[in-house]
Amino acid sequence: MAIVRHPEVRAKRASKDERPRRRSKSASPLSKISRLGTSRRAPRGAGKKQTLDPVTLEVIRNALPAIANEMAADLQRTSYNMMIYEVRDFCTSLVNTKGELVSQNVGGVSHFVADLGVIVTDAMKRYGADGFKEGDVIITNHQAVAGQHLNNIVIYMPYFHRGKLLMFVMVRAHWIDVGGMSTGFGAGPSVADPWLEGLQLDQLKIYEGGRLNETLYRVLKDNIRFPESSLGDMKSQMAACRLALRRLSELFDKYGSNTILAAIERIFDETERKCRNVVQKLEDGVYEAASFIDHDGVKRDERVPIHAKVTIDRGSMTIDLSGCSGERKAAINSRTYAAARVAYKALTGPLEPVNEGSFRALNVIIPEGNVMMARYPAPMAGWSVIVPTVVDTIVKALARAMTDRVPAGHHGLLGGSIVFFGLHPKSKRRFVVQSIEGGGWGGRPAEDGESATVSVCQGDVRNASIEGIELKCPVVVERRALRTDSGGAGKHRGGLGLDTSVRNLVEGRWNFDHPRREHCPPWGLWGGKPGTHGDFLLRLPGENDFRSMEAPHYPVPVQSEVIVRTGGGGGWGDPLDREPALVRDDVIEELVSGGVAEEVYGVVLRDDLTLDEAETERRRNALRSTAKREEIDGSRRRKP
Amino acid sequence: MIVVAIDIGGTFTDLVGFDDRTKRFVEAKSLTTPHELTQGVLDCIRKSGLQAPAIDELIHGSTIAINTLIERKGAKTGLVVTSGTRDVYIVGRGNRPEAYNLFFHRHRPLVPRHLTREVEERLLSSGEIFRPLNKASVTEACRVLAAEGVEAVAVCLLHSYADPTHERIAGAMIGEALPHAYLSLSHDILREYREFERLSTTVVNAYIGPKVGGYVRELKSRLGETGFGGELSIMRSNGGVMTPEVATARPVAMMESGPVGGIIASARVGEKLGLGNVISFDMGGTTAKTSLVRDGEPTLAPGYYVGGYASGHPVMLPMIDVVEVGAGGGSIAWIDEVGALKIGPHSAGADPGPICYRGGGTEPTITDANVVLGALDPRNFLGGEIVLDAEGARAGIERKIAKPLGLDAVAAARAILQIAIAKMALAVREVSVEKGYDPRDFALVASGGAGPLHVCAIARELHIPKVIVPLFPSHFSALGMLLADERHDFIRTFYCDLASLDFKALAAVYEEMAGEARKSLRHARNAQWQIALDLRYVGQEFTLSVPVTRQAIEKGDRKKIRAAFDALYEHRYAHQSPDEPVEMVNIRLAAIGQRPRLRFPTLARRTAKPARHRDVYLGEAAKPLSCPIYQRGELGSGARINGPALIEEHGTTTVLFAQDRCTVAPSGELIIAVGGA
Repeated sequence: MAIVRHPEVRAKRASKDERPRRRSKSASPLSKISRLGTSRRAPRGAGKKQTLDPVTLEVIRNALPAIANEMAADLQRTSYNMMIYEVRDFCTSLVNTKGELVSQNVGGVSHFVADLGVIVTDAMKRYGADGFKEGDVIITNHQAVAGQHLNNIVIYMPYFHRGKLLMFVMVRAHWIDVGGMSTGFGAGPSVADPWLEGLQLDQLKIYEGGRLNETLYRVLKDNIRFPESSLGDMKSQMAACRLALRRLSELFDKYGSNTILAAIERIFDETERKCRNVVQKLEDGVYEAASFIDHDGVKRDERVPIHAKVTIDRGSMTIDLSGCSGERKAAINSRTYAAARVAYKALTGPLEPVNEGSFRALNVIIPEGNVMMARYPAPMAGWSVIVPTVVDTIVKALARAMTDRVPAGHHGLLGGSIVFFGLHPKSKRRFVVQSIEGGGWGGRPAEDGESATVSVCQGDVRNASIEGIELKCPVVVERRALRTDSGGAGKHRGGLGLDTSVRNLVEGRWNFDHPRREHCPPWGLWGGKPGTHGDFLLRLPGENDFRSMEAPHYPVPVQSEVIVRTGGGGGWGDPLDREPALVRDDVIEELVSGGVAEEVYGVVLRDDLTLDEAETERRRNALRSTAKREEIDGSRRRKP
Repeated sequence: MIVVAIDIGGTFTDLVGFDDRTKRFVEAKSLTTPHELTQGVLDCIRKSGLQAPAIDELIHGSTIAINTLIERKGAKTGLVVTSGTRDVYIVGRGNRPEAYNLFFHRHRPLVPRHLTREVEERLLSSGEIFRPLNKASVTEACRVLAAEGVEAVAVCLLHSYADPTHERIAGAMIGEALPHAYLSLSHDILREYREFERLSTTVVNAYIGPKVGGYVRELKSRLGETGFGGELSIMRSNGGVMTPEVATARPVAMMESGPVGGIIASARVGEKLGLGNVISFDMGGTTAKTSLVRDGEPTLAPGYYVGGYASGHPVMLPMIDVVEVGAGGGSIAWIDEVGALKIGPHSAGADPGPICYRGGGTEPTITDANVVLGALDPRNFLGGEIVLDAEGARAGIERKIAKPLGLDAVAAARAILQIAIAKMALAVREVSVEKGYDPRDFALVASGGAGPLHVCAIARELHIPKVIVPLFPSHFSALGMLLADERHDFIRTFYCDLASLDFKALAAVYEEMAGEARKSLRHARNAQWQIALDLRYVGQEFTLSVPVTRQAIEKGDRKKIRAAFDALYEHRYAHQSPDEPVEMVNIRLAAIGQRPRLRFPTLARRTAKPARHRDVYLGEAAKPLSCPIYQRGELGSGARINGPALIEEHGTTTVLFAQDRCTVAPSGELIIAVGGA
């Protein structure tokens, strides 16, 4: 088994006990390492220290993320598809020629964290350091390197300062269609390979030295369904890149490349040190947790196991995902470090800007052939659907090490998504209703979880407004309502999931991409109860009951009703320890039913909803002794 | 005519008055009295020596609206919504702007879920009735809310922007059932689609309504008792003023009026000097704020989030677009865990204040750095009201900044200023460069106690050739209120393809909006009507507001509108798609009732003579320079001062560097040609 470690444990200059520790097994084929991104660098010597004045360093530190954020703001405002302007399914980055992340926008889809480096290392290998000219624009989505679904199109340009190639400015964005089965959020799990999924573009220069490659452009235009949207987005991506080139020129002209490159190294080092400082405080040891997805969407009688082993060793963290499923025949594969990186970032420096230093003190082990290190041409159309649950599992593994930083499990759904499309009979225009509905987050060490919020892999991702949907599409969104009792009970309650009901006024097709967390619902922590799982429910006209659905592109007649249901978060701590007054508030607010208040929280309210303290105490004592008995019977299950 | 502006800020209540006849200014400052705001206003008038009956116009800006919300001291509020949408307010957009934060917070609703009642009704986006209004369900909602004793009710029904009939009927029924409750209907506040944002704006209005409305009424009546019989106007977030009646019905419109005054003043000062394009730069104790004025018009943002984007309350009413950074005189300099020098966002505020204030402050601030470098005179601060502790400032910077960085105190103080300047320069870039404007085409107008100290350095950083230091830089917000016009903004969602836009229908909507505007305007005098259409390429979400004329709508001049959109798009984003179809989303109307322009006096001609000299470290210079010190009050029209020099006045000091050239305008402003810019 080739173990790919990424990146190397790196040396810290001054400190002896943090020399690179190499494992004997780390000698993996070089080709694979470079394919995955960050090439190995020599440990920095102590004599190399640059003198940088604190002012210049600070100015550059602020300027670099500002460029990435400005690119993002521009892209979002000019894009043609809701995946960019609402779902913010994009990232904008500056990456140096070694494939190291110089800066990245914040706020959007978090699982894009620092994932463009691999594209650059691959491009440098293919084209060579002399293979780029000013005015080149490269387009790529090829899964052998990018490891994501084909809708995620990367557009990038080289940045030269005084004739020297220093960096690449890059925008990855989700196109609404790249041919094949890719319309909307992407092709479903049943898509068997990348050719069925859509158009594959492997590091092609759509512009060479400023000249458009007409042939390639026409191939693109003729092989995607909404060329005006996607090519409009390409234009926006290029504009964002050009903006970054201008900003970089201003910066490099002012401070010179030596100073800026030295500052970037320094910023990487400092970021690394900050992350180490957080991890250093944790007790060394090995921490593990497991979970699973019900099935992969194709092989329905088999769970998809997820397992995280986290080793803390004097400020370094190793996240080993070897225990996760091997690659699947279903399209839930990927090649990505996202899960480990999102978890690490959330635990070490959630509000700091991201750069290469953010992950230097992190080791990730994902063997080739793992579901997250799948080999081309394994299908990847639904590449990120399991990632939020993997992130959550890594976080859960650390619950014992960071008791004050780890919440209970969240709904873990990328989707909870509305995707309904068709042809409007009057206007003859195609329409797509798209929205991502949030679910419940887990209870926290000091407070309840938030309700109806997007997953850990999605940041500033917004649902579509009901009025906005109905202005554009022939549907009525009848309800967007919290689900009473969907949040896991706990001392700190899990947040609630959501029911969004949609009635279609013309016929069309639904994507029912089931969340598959029924048998492994969002978990509780420290005695908290799990949250409830999500679902898709359909009721055809004339039917009385809703039924659970899982089917891509499912045709429905006029006046069908669909409920898009999202899960609730797990509870944190024993529900019997929850303040009775808070339980009472929850009942008044109808977040928790009277029945659950009594049966699970042991809180008894009178008819006028005042607290019956004596009865509550009796009830809680009874529940506690039952729980104790069960614990002795069931015995030795380790928390969490 | 005597016109007076009173601006209640966090610490001080400022008054600036102008007597048109005698051409005399009046200024006064008193401490803000948070529990007795009205009394503070009356005290300030008394302190100014003005006689209330002699005042013709009084313009007032107050923090009461925003504080009521931020401190959550508003009314017990109920909410009435369409069935199925009870949780729209809680759910919001379901987003997490802090992408990696596991402990993110969403906005905290101002109305609890049990006071949110659904009524049975449903419109489609066309305004067509999908389910008729069930009045019994409204009666039931009223019963519950009355039993709960709510003091305010917000109503937001789906698609009421398209047809407000249901909302009006429900509103009338609620008004009857709860006659003492403050009532806000969403279509009255904002006729724009996107239910969560409209609802939030309406709820905020209802929540602060009783308190702010009461305040405005009390102010009016107590002013009346003192004999004031003039016109009272209230400052609003869009840079205009409104009558007390409009303010009582739409208190949410005054939410962000705080920083607005200075921007209006910058626009007017620029206009007077023949400069349509200015960037206002206001640096106070805790933050620096900057905003762009183009062709004499401040830029408006279509909405904002009270409490920040990540977990604040959306209020979708136009507000002057301000970028704020945590760099004020009191901002603290510190060294982070890896040894990097940082400024802010923590501020020493007024209490304990910078080290040099001797108020017990121990953390070095931007003000302390200015004292160490000699830009601030320890013996002549606020006209000598307090003697600054220069030694303390130096020792603090030495200990907390210089030693850890291996610098001397002067180099450390200089580093503090440079980082602060770089931060503020980024903010100025954000309002200009990032919106497609070249800052070199603008003049920078400095205000606030710390603005004139740093403005020339910022200008140089951004190659801005011209800086203006206006009169009353430390009372600038109140001065701006004195100069503000009356302004009312209206919006209507009107969704269609530009190619098939029914201009007749649009003209009818416009007439309706204009009718509403006429009702809101106190004076139709020289009223200006600014119309804009929110347009976008089909498939996009974000729109650009394209100014159009009434004639263009009447004539149905599609081509011209289209061309204007493409051009604006090109300007903003540096590309355009003239072959793509365009759609319209909203029509906007701003009704502006111009207030008479005040004619300020001119100064007598006089050449400048320095009062004395002082050693000051300027810019990169290793050694202090002996700088001439001028007193602003003694400068006459046409006076010329070449840098390096300092110009001191009560409340602030202007710093000129070696190549900066300053001339005093006939109307008193300092016009600085920035050297090396």
